[in-house]
Amino acid sequence: MTCPMVSHNSEMLVAYAAGELDMESVASLERHLADCPACRSVMADQTALWKALDAWEAPAVSTDFNRRLYRRIDTEARLSWWERLTRPFRPMPLRHALPLTASAALLLMAGFLLQHPAKIAPVEPRSPTVRADQVESTLEDLELLRQFGAVNSPESGHSDAM
Amino acid sequence: MGVAAAALDYDAELMLRVKDGDSACFDLLLEKHRASVIHFVYRLVQEQAVAEELAQEVFLRVYRSRSSYEPTAKFTTWLFRIATHLALNWLRDEKHERGQDRLDDGSPDLPIRQVSDRRPSVEQEMVQRVKLEEIRRAVAALPEKQRAAVLMHKYEEMDYIQIARVLGCSESALKSLLFRAYETLRARLAHMGRI
Repeated sequence: MTCPMVSHNSEMLVAYAAGELDMESVASLERHLADCPACRSVMADQTALWKALDAWEAPAVSTDFNRRLYRRIDTEARLSWWERLTRPFRPMPLRHALPLTASAALLLMAGFLLQHPAKIAPVEPRSPTVRADQVESTLEDLELLRQFGAVNSPESGHSDAM
Repeated sequence: MGVAAAALDYDAELMLRVKDGDSACFDLLLEKHRASVIHFVYRLVQEQAVAEELAQEVFLRVYRSRSSYEPTAKFTTWLFRIATHLALNWLRDEKHERGQDRLDDGSPDLPIRQVSDRRPSVEQEMVQRVKLEEIRRAVAALPEKQRAAVLMHKYEEMDYIQIARVLGCSESALKSLLFRAYETLRARLAHMGRI
């Protein structure tokens, strides 16, 4: 036979270790293994891995597993139509629920805007001109701020108390 | 698998009877598959309490879907598809929440197979425990699809076609995925010396 590692049939070695090959394939592969150190090495490691994995047993199932399940089934049978409808969303973690809720809200808002474009007041364009009274008022505010800063600065009379 | 082939599946027949209102058939399905589902999920998530909770959700979903059930695939393919989906989703959420820290803490619920009837010495038990921990970590470090494939192949003894259907890939893709997974495990556990 052609070497499984060369002929892209390396799964055959896994199948051999798992005992999945038919007798004919086993015989053929074993003849090949006798002459192929590369395959022999993979096979030895795979067989050892297969045996090592056997040691990993799962713990025994809780004795009340069925009771808990049937209780959940009974609870479900008593759910109202609304609870059944919202059930898929209830166990959803917050980080999944938030983007979904936000997307739904955006879609609703977009739908509303498309349906009622007239209800949204157009934004008044701002006048690019600056009035003289605005400039005066701003200058007065700046002056006040400067005076206030001078009063509170460490160089002012308060520094004497230090 | 078509409807005709699925008709040969005894579990699918039971499920069709559940659909017709025979809840005793649901009990039979639960008894038959409870352990394998819980064990599979346990090896995926590596926490017994979580595994049982997720397995409850699996059977609950099966029960909920009874009225719309159609035997378009083998029953266990459907069952393990639900189990895989729930477990991998939980792992993604958990990974997101807590990183991989969980893998580093010593898990108390790791039973060790007693190979012989004779009670192993403390030393043997320690060695066995360390080896098992290495194996557990190596499996947990596999990409999720590879991990699920290895667990179904090794512990549930499912054939390639069925595992491929559970994972939604072709049989040839599954074979190469499994080989890569075992290759990774062999490399990761090579320091244990012929494992």
